[in-house]
Amino acid sequence: MAIIRKLKEKVKKIAQKKKSVAKKKTVVKKKPSPTIELKKEIFGAQEIKVEQTKYSHPEPTRVSRFMPQELPAGYGKDKIVLQVRDPWWLHAFWEVSGSTVDKLRQELKEEFSKSKWILRAYDVSKINFNGNNAHRYFDVYIAEGATSWYIDTAAPGRSWCVDLGLLLPGGKFITVLRSNIVITPLDGPSEETDEEWMIPEELFARLYGMGFGLGRSSPIGKAWQERVKQSLWSSGITSGASFVKKQQKQRKFWFKVDCELIVYGATEPDAKVTVQDKEIKLRPDGTFTLRFALPDGEQVIPVKAVSADCIEERVITPVVNRKTKTSALVKG
Amino acid sequence: MVLHGHLPFVRHPEHEDFLEEDWLYEAITETYVPLILMFENLTNDNIDFRLTMTLSPTLTSMLSDSLLQERYLKHLNKLIELSYKEIERTTWQGQFHNLALMYRDQFCKTRDCFERYHRNLVNAFKKFQDMGKLEVITCGATHGYFPLMEACKDSVRAQVRVAVSHYESVFGRPPRGIWLPECGYYPGHDEILREAGIRYFFTDSHGLLHGTPRPKYGVFAPVYCKGSGVACFSRDLESSKQVWSSVEGYPGDYNYREFYRDIGFDLEYDYIKPYIHPDGIRINTGIKYYRITGTTNHKEPYMPEWARQRAAEHAGNFMFNRQKQVEYLYNFMQKKPIIVSPYDAELFGHWWYEGPQWLEFLIRKIACDQSDIRMITPSEYLVENPRNQVINPSMSSWGWKGYSEMWLQGSNDWIYRHLHAASERMTELVKSYPDVNGLAKRALNQALRELLLAQSSDWAFILGTGTHTSYAERRTKDHLLRFNRLYEDVKAGAIDEGWLSGVEYKDNIFPGIDYKAHQ
Repeated sequence: MAIIRKLKEKVKKIAQKKKSVAKKKTVVKKKPSPTIELKKEIFGAQEIKVEQTKYSHPEPTRVSRFMPQELPAGYGKDKIVLQVRDPWWLHAFWEVSGSTVDKLRQELKEEFSKSKWILRAYDVSKINFNGNNAHRYFDVYIAEGATSWYIDTAAPGRSWCVDLGLLLPGGKFITVLRSNIVITPLDGPSEETDEEWMIPEELFARLYGMGFGLGRSSPIGKAWQERVKQSLWSSGITSGASFVKKQQKQRKFWFKVDCELIVYGATEPDAKVTVQDKEIKLRPDGTFTLRFALPDGEQVIPVKAVSADCIEERVITPVVNRKTKTSALVKG
Repeated sequence: MVLHGHLPFVRHPEHEDFLEEDWLYEAITETYVPLILMFENLTNDNIDFRLTMTLSPTLTSMLSDSLLQERYLKHLNKLIELSYKEIERTTWQGQFHNLALMYRDQFCKTRDCFERYHRNLVNAFKKFQDMGKLEVITCGATHGYFPLMEACKDSVRAQVRVAVSHYESVFGRPPRGIWLPECGYYPGHDEILREAGIRYFFTDSHGLLHGTPRPKYGVFAPVYCKGSGVACFSRDLESSKQVWSSVEGYPGDYNYREFYRDIGFDLEYDYIKPYIHPDGIRINTGIKYYRITGTTNHKEPYMPEWARQRAAEHAGNFMFNRQKQVEYLYNFMQKKPIIVSPYDAELFGHWWYEGPQWLEFLIRKIACDQSDIRMITPSEYLVENPRNQVINPSMSSWGWKGYSEMWLQGSNDWIYRHLHAASERMTELVKSYPDVNGLAKRALNQALRELLLAQSSDWAFILGTGTHTSYAERRTKDHLLRFNRLYEDVKAGAIDEGWLSGVEYKDNIFPGIDYKAHQ
């Protein structure tokens, strides 16, 4: 008892010391070294661990300027960008700066409020587009305030350029922004053949089907549609992919119950203990805990302790029986 | 045979336990180490083999990073500790007990392997590349999806240039080939590859089959791109299907291990808590006790020997099909066909647990049991067959529906406005500051790092799938916000060195980066 009291006092003292150290820390902001060392020795592993984690990696310098959490709504530039989604569809996004809108409003006066923002898509395949020489164009009416749009071109394998502009009440179109030019891919094999590497139609049809893993005689027209159906697409990053590749079947109602058995005890720390004839490791204080998955049936678990001097031996044998009954009821 | 190994840059020194870093740890334990062990087995048994493998620059960077190495070892040690507990817990359940022993052995072997290469697995891949068995190819620096960078081509150039110089610094020679991220090809990007000294790349089947003019040999011979002369190899879908397909593919065999039954989810909470996320979120531990069994939720215990037997049979079946395919093709091509079978590397081991076994069986069978087919790398093929047709391949990807829709749809299309603006700003910075040193140079280099990290196709992909999107959204925004601040600070001549150091420390990828790559 006396020892314990002494220890308690010691702990108290150290705790006070620690407090004063902590106070000092906030005032002087100096790394206190000798007192902390002392504390480490006495307070044990956990504290040291906690402290280590503080210093094991250099801490990043604190951000000294306000960092916004969200991206800007716009970049103050006049710009339209056109991208290809697939053989049929394009995607355009744009930004019209406030000053450009103001200028248009001034120039067009009352006509401005009556005109509509539209997209005009030009087919510019194999030409040097100058604004007037497109093979054809079509207009896309966009929702008010839209800043991006998907455009159905209905024609794969073509080059496209898109203007964002105002359609005036009289039908006149004013280009405000002109996009980059993009080329959509073909939706099937090319009609062009190479003289030097000519190949008969029938042979190509076979190779074409085979390339899509469709055996030997798939008609060209159908092969690509079949391939799209096969859905043998890559699924991106590994772990994310797990959720995509094979969605777990939807389980509506489910229920599971299992049993585990905890066997625990204590003896002299230097004793030798076996459980079902297997030696186990004791904790420094002589206690032990074992955990078993418990199957149905009877488990006989002899636990034997032998004193360090091998003079004394004790056996305690729990016998555990598990019997699982199940029943199910579906109402209605 | 091409294995595409890639993971996005997930390194978070600011947190002790970061859930997304587990992507890397799982892939190391389940895919990269098993592949390396396979290379070692084959070499020890004098079995010749040829494999082509992408190690994306983000993956290589993470494998070589000392913080992540240290954390991986910690992760693996905990896993070993858990496997010991499992051995004890399953004492009265023979089948599970044996599996627990199997996992302990496997994890210990993994740790030995990890230590054998001084914790840097890139050393292992380099070793087998130097032996001529493995051809390691590169990828976009951060796996940016190129077709959606067509309007800001400087970024495509930066993705390629940074990847190439990073590869050189790691492997001591320039890369011969590249795996375009997501197999995404847009006409003209081959020219950028040529400028960077890359000699070949891959497309999905339709990239070649829908090329102009028609490819004479379909996907069974490479072509040269018109203008650049860079070679393009294309995927054979028949061989792909056997491994990829969830319906007909091998990985769905009922004897193979079930991916979704992990003790991280199955076992009692207090017991498993130290081995899942510290916040108590249940995660996969990697210890799984069941086989696929069938289509219902009822699962039977995994029998490793049965699974191994199936892997051997499937390898035999794959080889037989290739022999028949080659025989048939040779009859009317009158030329030796090449069959390109690319897979995500992480499919082997991580998703398909027996995948590495299957691959090893396949390689052994091809080497010992027949003489109709052999394994080859694209470089070797081009040396043997230098004369190839010249065509313009078609825009394509190997993602959902074959083009760009996976990365360009309602849920993720908002990112491009910001990515393009940042790309344009980066080009502007390079033009305005063609030759700077010191702090400004550090800021510009970091700006390019942030831009590249924001461009990873993985973020758009995750946003597109609609699950677990918050991390991907945060990463996209964080890198762009850091980029924007760097842009403004450089232009204002007011770089905050303290803040810059913090960002450099967090996003420490590509230490040798040169911002001038972006032009």
